[in-house]
Amino acid sequence: MRHVSKFGILLFAAVIATAAIAAGCASAPLHTEGSTSGIRSAEVAGSATVPQATLHVQLAKEEVDAAKALDVKGQKAQAASMLSRAEADAELAVALAKGDTEKMEADKAMQRVRQLRQDNP
Amino acid sequence: MKPMQLSILVAIVAIAALFAGCATVTPNELINARAAYEQASNSPGAPLVPAEIHKAHDALDSAEQSFAKDSDSYKTKDLAYVAERKAELAQALGVSAVDNAAKAKADADFAAKQAQIVTKTKSDLAATQSELSAALVALAAKEEARGIVITLSGGVLFETAKWDLLPSAQTKLDQVVAALLAGPKRNIIVEGNTDSQGSESYNQGLSERRAASVRDYLVAHGLPADRIQSMGKGKDNPIADNASPEGRANNRRVEIIIQPGAHASN
Repeated sequence: MRHVSKFGILLFAAVIATAAIAAGCASAPLHTEGSTSGIRSAEVAGSATVPQATLHVQLAKEEVDAAKALDVKGQKAQAASMLSRAEADAELAVALAKGDTEKMEADKAMQRVRQLRQDNP
Repeated sequence: MKPMQLSILVAIVAIAALFAGCATVTPNELINARAAYEQASNSPGAPLVPAEIHKAHDALDSAEQSFAKDSDSYKTKDLAYVAERKAELAQALGVSAVDNAAKAKADADFAAKQAQIVTKTKSDLAATQSELSAALVALAAKEEARGIVITLSGGVLFETAKWDLLPSAQTKLDQVVAALLAGPKRNIIVEGNTDSQGSESYNQGLSERRAASVRDYLVAHGLPADRIQSMGKGKDNPIADNASPEGRANNRRVEIIIQPGAHASN
């Protein structure tokens, strides 16, 4: 059996590990959970009743689809980058939907105190 | 133009076109992101959401750095797109913070106004009770199990065997009205009583009519009709001996009973 140096073994192990990592990355599934849960959160927060929030939910959905299409074509980096757009749109939709509710509550509270002052000058 | 000059001109135009083609073009995403950040950082809510403004700034910074390295890459465009959304997010959260602050202030104002109303109501009630107490003392009212009883002498209110109120009765009844209007809303019973002279049916009728006259006066002067009822007791409830003229005079009376917190039945 041919003598294998210690350096040779280490080099071989490094090559195998690098190949394994590269293979793992190449076949890693696209993680859309962040985007889809963001979209769901926006819908739960009432995005359907707020036009601006509805628009961003729609954009997020389209971006998730675009990311999936890029992933299928093997353009993993572009797919992941496209998903960041979807996450940003979903996050904005949540804020817009909640903001609308908060605005209504603030208006209601101000109306309530105005009425109380009017009834009790 | 000589061929030589033409060649030089063509060469210059070609070089200029080449440079123009190579010039860096800022992607729309980045232009939008810069504008959105500018707007968010100058919005009224910005001071209330410094962390979100900072995140938007970092996102824009990442996009600018990517643009410096590779102006037309998908990465630059995506980072710029995200930066625009982060700026819009910061602005939306700033608006929410302003709304929440307005709501908190409105709630605090509401609570303060309510407390002020409660204090004023208590003060008004105390003043009313004080006025009522003074008025009831002036009317020699007595507190009994059936309520506060104001007794008005029949001689002050009516002529003998009559039920029309004497002019002199009005002064006394006006004092009663003032006291009842000043006090809390209570149900009132007006009871007419006679001495023992005359038949039972006569005295019963007379006591009923006299009680009704007093009730009508009270209602005519502002007391709610649905809270006052009148009834005649005839000669059945003497408070003094009918054998003497003084005793009979005391028995001829109208009693106004202010019931303790009950509702009128008619």
